[in-house]
Parts: sequence; structure tokens; C-alpha cells
Amino acid sequence: MTGLGALREDLSRLKDIDRVLVAAVIPLLAIGVVSIYSALAGRGEVAVSMALRQVVWSVMGVVAFMITFAAGYERMFRYGYWLYAGALLTLTALLIAGYTAKGATSWFDFGAFRFQPSEPTKLALSIILAVFLCRYPPKTLVNILGVLLLSSFATVLVLLQPDLGGVIVYAFMIFVALAVAGTPRKYLLLLAGIALLSLPVGWSMLKEYQKLRMLVFLNPSIDPLGAGYNVIQSRIAVGAGGLFGKGFLQGSQSKLHFLPEAHTDFVFSVFSEEFGFVGASIVLFLFAVLLWRMIRTAARSGDQRGKILVAAISAWIWFQIFENIAMTVGIAPVTGLALPFMSYGGSSLVSLGAALGLVQSVHVSARPQYE
Amino acid sequence: MVSLVVLVVALFRLQVLQSDLYVNLAARNRLRLVRMPPARGRILDVNGTVLATNVQTFDLMVYPLDLQDKETAEEVSRFLKARGIPLEVEQMLERVRKEFTVPYRAVTLLPDLTLAQLSSLVSDPDFPRQLFPVPVWRRVYPAGPLVAHVLGYVGEVTREELERFSPGDYRGGDHVGKGGVEEFYESVLRGTPGQEAIEVDARGRKVKRVGFIEPGQGEDLELALDLGAQRLASELMAGRVGAVFAMDVHNGNVKVLFSSPNFDANPLAWGISSREWNELMRDPVRPMLNRVIAGTYPPASTFKVVPAFAALAENAVTRRTTFTCTGGMRVGNRFFRCWKRDGGHGPVNVVKGLRDSCDVFFYQAGLRTGIDALVKWGAVFGVGEPTGIDLPGEARGNIAGPAWKLERFRERWYPGDTANYSIGQGFLLLTPIQLARIYAAIANGGKLVTPRLLKGAKTSVSLQLPEGPLAIVKEGIEEVVLRGTGRRAGQYGVSVAGKTGTAENPHGDDHAWFVGYAPVENPRYVAVALVEAGLHGSSAAGPVVGELLGYLCRFD
Repeated sequence: MTGLGALREDLSRLKDIDRVLVAAVIPLLAIGVVSIYSALAGRGEVAVSMALRQVVWSVMGVVAFMITFAAGYERMFRYGYWLYAGALLTLTALLIAGYTAKGATSWFDFGAFRFQPSEPTKLALSIILAVFLCRYPPKTLVNILGVLLLSSFATVLVLLQPDLGGVIVYAFMIFVALAVAGTPRKYLLLLAGIALLSLPVGWSMLKEYQKLRMLVFLNPSIDPLGAGYNVIQSRIAVGAGGLFGKGFLQGSQSKLHFLPEAHTDFVFSVFSEEFGFVGASIVLFLFAVLLWRMIRTAARSGDQRGKILVAAISAWIWFQIFENIAMTVGIAPVTGLALPFMSYGGSSLVSLGAALGLVQSVHVSARPQYE
Repeated sequence: MVSLVVLVVALFRLQVLQSDLYVNLAARNRLRLVRMPPARGRILDVNGTVLATNVQTFDLMVYPLDLQDKETAEEVSRFLKARGIPLEVEQMLERVRKEFTVPYRAVTLLPDLTLAQLSSLVSDPDFPRQLFPVPVWRRVYPAGPLVAHVLGYVGEVTREELERFSPGDYRGGDHVGKGGVEEFYESVLRGTPGQEAIEVDARGRKVKRVGFIEPGQGEDLELALDLGAQRLASELMAGRVGAVFAMDVHNGNVKVLFSSPNFDANPLAWGISSREWNELMRDPVRPMLNRVIAGTYPPASTFKVVPAFAALAENAVTRRTTFTCTGGMRVGNRFFRCWKRDGGHGPVNVVKGLRDSCDVFFYQAGLRTGIDALVKWGAVFGVGEPTGIDLPGEARGNIAGPAWKLERFRERWYPGDTANYSIGQGFLLLTPIQLARIYAAIANGGKLVTPRLLKGAKTSVSLQLPEGPLAIVKEGIEEVVLRGTGRRAGQYGVSVAGKTGTAENPHGDDHAWFVGYAPVENPRYVAVALVEAGLHGSSAAGPVVGELLGYLCRFD
């Protein structure tokens, strides 16, 4: 069979993908674009160009979806170690040649756009976890230590940037993958215990501004014009939205530039101020549908590797949704994690697209071919 | 799923149960930081005459929301009309629509009111409370087009510039120097923006001042430029296209820098329509081009001092070497004419060669010296390199040796090329300021100065030139004005040494050059004049330089 024919065959299975999931993701992308426009509308034509860029990134995300879907998760597993090695190499190069902003080296600056390698690394990590945990089931301490060692390469490289939010996402993904792969409960409890005990050590490793963020989370009013500013302004934006919101483009918090990082980390605040509790609930409902469908896919998959893969990806997406929204309403500290599908950012959208492609690849292969 | 329920509960608490509290907080979110643009430093000439300064004007602002109410709009229009400002409701809404982005951002209804206009409006009891004034600094250039190429102008910062500057320094709407001294000394002139912390009402209108950081005024710049001499240069050019430049031969202080045609920087600084801008940019004579530093021309006979010096320094000729000019000579298979075709100059040595600008002498001397030595000495005198004047956009010209020709045309260098090179024609291109710098080096005994518009600054590099050849070249160009082609430059009460030039122009009539320094006994100033399509250096450019040097030496 020719390569083109194979591709057509691969893509023909698109008709079997989870339409409910697609129906949840597309409105989220659209809401994201609209909110980015609104967040920047106070700054003139930048708003249009950024909203358009987000549309372009969304399309790139769809392309990434097609590619990983057509490739199939099993083929991706075959190249799992290579993908992971590539990701580690990129993260290392980043520390040498990356662009430093606000004390962290998280980006490659290509002029026309910037690239954040820690995003695709989440995908590579999901794949490698699935491959490794199936080959060496985490029933013994040696195997558990093995997977921890393997995944610690990416975690440490991200910690060196330093990108605290990224590290927490990775750690959470590893934990969930271990749980799904059937790690005995005593080891899971042990890991959780170690994580708790290492908090003081972690604290001493934080940068000053990160410590301040934590303290501010506990009490935002200690520094109302400094580190607590973001949280306070975000809470005001969300709260002022009320039940139905102030209406599109009418939110004063973002238009008067009170709200910082409005089109990236705090895009949910912009949306909530203008569309209120009703709008925010709809967004949460869409996210809930998305996660439900992914967990459903994992549960139905007969392939243990597929299960772990989808679980790790779900952990990643769930954690970012929860942390981001919790941060905007002030019940979690500010970590700078993007809200999946809504925050401005190409690296995130393309990585998410590729991740969903793999999830759907698992989904269609779980489905009987002949009915 | 539980986690998402937690979020919904949190949102419900914030947006429904405590909504009133936060709506209130948002409304009271009143502290606003307003940037206060600093007053830009002034630019003065050598005598303290103001070349660039600022005036404060006022923009009358309004919030688009306020004008959406038809009655208010009509009231504002009626008020303005009664005070002699015809602004129909439709026009007003049109202006608002053009600038409108979001309801919370104020737009300019009437720009650039004077203090008198504003106070008469504001003191009126009927002054609509929806309007409010905002002070703005505007740049004015009292000398207008005369110094436009020296100063450049200021304009709103463009997106590309915003990206180029270090982040946070500039914001959209800020003014920034474009071209000329305004651009080159931007960091000195600009000053530091101040900040005013104000309390605003729900519409964002200022209620009272809470805190204030004074803007740091930009530093004044004192130029070495002499506005009187600059004006004289402009009068002497009398509208002809070209360039005039003069500087101190010892420290490079620039006295005159005039390019014609020029443009008025005032409307540019206050904002012109894109149609007017396009007209200015498309004008075939290119008024925005600073011909002194960015116009490149064949130097023609004015260049002959360099081959003369090179030939003497390389011992290819001596003071006594004589060639016979019969009106031309054969080089390779081509016949090269002298400008004096009928009969020629007869026996010619280096001094007479410079005096009468005899081409045959320089063909011979150049061929004996060899192109490599000619190019080498050209480079010593700064040909092919920017002079480093404190202006942006300087051209480097073209030193155009064999290596360049090979790369550009894939063709080897012929003896005929050397002959052409020796009389400053062919591929060689210089800016007027580069030429003036060569003559300054001859005048000051071999120092290559860096021209400076800023008063007082000086940099020069000693070229370690041999004394003998320098004295002979000087003698030659003194003869030019005493008895040779440049006599008309010497009629203005000061002794001048210099050289005429007539550059072949493939697009029309020949360009006329004169470059020289004065006084001969103790040189102080060098000046150059280029008249595009001026035909003869001796008559078109010589008197400009002579009279200008006379003025500079007299009023020094």
C-alpha cells in the first residue's frame, strides 16, 4: 500500500472520533479567542492581531491533532524514547540559548513567535510514562524508582528555568500515571508523604518572587500594589461580573488595565467579568465534558499503555484547568499556568492538539472495527 | 469532577453571593497612574539661538460614552459653535468613531489648543462638563526648513521602533526623534517621563491628584552650528539642488550643514496626513535626502589631491617631474582627453597640474603610482568609510578598487580604469562631508577629524603623513585660487586654498564642486559646495565656498 493510501486509511478513522469531546473543545477555543480580543481591546489594534494569531495557533493545533491521530498512538510509542530524548535536548538548549523574562528562561525567541518547550515535553512525558510503566510494571520498588529517575530528567530541567508551575504539572502527571498503572497503595502513600515532607526543601529553592506569591496567596493584602495585586484585581474582576456579567467589551478591570496578564494567565477573569457566573459555569461545564470524555476513553481502552497515556494527558489538562481557575478566584496561589484552550499561546495550543490526537487514537482503537 | 464542583462553588460565592462587594470594589478601583511626558531638551546653535523647542498645547478630550447621548452631543456642538469653533455633531461623532476603541478610553475632540484658547473656553460658565483638557508638549522648529536636515524631527513612535527599544522605555503615543540630531541624541534630549497618581471617578475622569513624580526634563543640546552661516549657505544656493557643508579643520565642529531642497519639520512634528507624507517621499528631487551625508557623487577633479599626494608619497613623481599635455593621451586602446582639448597644457608638473586641473598629468601620475597605492591612500583619507558624524543615515560612498570591480562586475581592472580613477571619475563615489574631511586633513597637517555637530566635542586621528608631499599639495591648491581654475573663490576677503570639480552626471548636466579651506596661512575652516547639474565648479560652486569661508573667518 502506498504511503498516501495509508494516510487516507488512517484519516478515514476520523469519522469514529469522539464527537462529544470535539463539541466541547471547539466552543472553548472560540471563547478563548473572543476573551483574548476583549482582554486587549483597551490597547488598540494589538487586540485584533493577537486574536487572529490565536486563531492561527488553533488551526495549527488542529493540524497537530491530525498528525498524531494519523500516526496513531502505537507508532508514537515506538518512537517514545526518541521523542523524550528530543524534548530533553530542547530543554537543555533552552537553558543555554533561551530568552529570559521575569527571571525565568522558559522561551525560545524566534522573533515572529516564541516557543515554550516545556509544553510539548508534557506530551513526550505522557508517552514515555505509558511505555515504561507497561514494560516495567510499578509493582516493585526498583521499577518505581526507575520511572521516577527517568521522568526526573524533564522535571529537573524545567525546575532549572525555573518554572515552578511546570514542575508541579509534571509531578502530578507522574503520580496519576503511577496510580493508573497499578502501583500498590503503600507506595503511592509513601510518595505523597515524601512530597509533603520535601515542601520545606522546595520552599528554600524558590525564588524570592515565588515565595512572595505563596505568602500573598495566604494573605493578598500584605502587598496590595505588588505581588498581591494580580490576585486582588482578578478577584475583583470575577466578582464584579455578578450573575450575568457586564457584557462583551464592558469589563472595566481589563479595559482600564487593572488586570495584569489579561490575555494569558488571567483570561478567565476577563471572560468572567464580562459574562458572569452563567458564562463561567458554561465554561466549566465544557471543561467537565472534555475531562469526562477523556476518562471514559481511558476506562474503555483495553490497552494498558493507552490507558496510562490518556490518564497522564487528562491529569495534565485537569491540573491546569483547576489551578488556573482556582488562581483567578484566589483559592490557589499564582503559578503562571495557562488555561488549556483559552489562554493565548501557540506552544500550549499545538501541544494540546497533539495530545488530543493521541487520545482520539486510543479512542478509535478501543472501538470494535466490525459491528 | 469534585474539583470542578469546588470551582463552581467558589465562583458562585464570588459572583453571586459577594457580587455587590466586588462590583463596589471595581467601581472604587480609582487609583490610576498617568504618564507625564517630559519636556524634550531644546537644541541651540553656537550663539544660543533656539533651533528646536517645545510649546505646551492642550487637547480637549471626551469620553465616547458621553457623546452617545444625542442631547449632550448637540449641546457640546452648540457651545463650540458659539465660540467660533465650527464642529457639527456629525463631524464630532466621526472623529470619535475614528479613535474609538472601548467606552472607557477618552478620545481627542479638539487637538492643539493654545493656553489662551483653552482658558477662554474653560472659564465660560457653559463649558460642557463632559469635556476636559489634557496638556501636551509639541515640538517647534523656529528656523524651519533651514536646519531641517540637521535636526530631523520628532514623531509618534512606530511599532518597529517600539520593538527595537528596550522594553518599557517607550509606549505607543510617545514621541521619538526621527532623523538628524533629534534621533542621534534621543537619549539625551528625551528626559524621563514622570508619573501622576490620580483618583478617578467611574468614568475614569480625574477627581484629584494623589501622588506626583515630576518628569525629568531632557537636556538641552548646544550645537557648534552657526545659524547665520547656515542662512548664508541657503541664500547662496538660491534654490539650486545640492549641498553645502563647513567645519572647523582642527576639531571637526560643524558650522554649516545644508542640503537643498529641504523640508519643513514643523508640520511633520505635529502630524501630517499620509497623503502629504507620500507626496514628500515620492518627490523626485527627494527633499528628505540629506545630500551632505547621504548623497554620493563622483568627486571628479576635487579628488586630485589624493592621487597627487599618493604619487608624491610613493615617489612615483617628484616636485620636478614633468609630463607634457597635448590635450589627451592614449591608454591601452582608448584615447583619454584632457578637459582642455585644443592644444593642451604643455609641460605640467604636480603644482601646475593641480592649479590647472590638467587631466593628462593625473593620468600619467596615476598610472605610475598604480591603482593599489591610489586605493590605499584613498582609504587613509577616509574614502569609502562613514566620517562618523553625529547624525544617523550616513552613506559610506564607494572606494571602488580592483577587488570591488571584480566582485561587482566580474571583470578585471584595466589601466584605463586607473586613469579614470586618477581624475576622480569612474566608480569612485564620495559624500560631500567625506570630501571636506580630506581637505581638512590637508589643512591641519594630517589629522583625520570626526565631524561633530555637538559643540566642544572633538576626536581626530593623526595620519602620520609625510611633510614634503603635504606641503607640495597645499602649494598646488593655493595656486588653484590664486591663478588657476578656482579664482572666483578667492574674492571674498580671505585667502582660500581649494579645488574645483565638474563631475560627469549620467542623468543630466554635470555636477559642480568646490572644496577649500581658509585662511591659507593658518587654516581654520573647510567648506564644500556641491551644485547638482551646476555645470562648472569654478562658477557655480566656487563663489559659494569663498563667500561662506569669508563669513566664517570674519565672524569667528
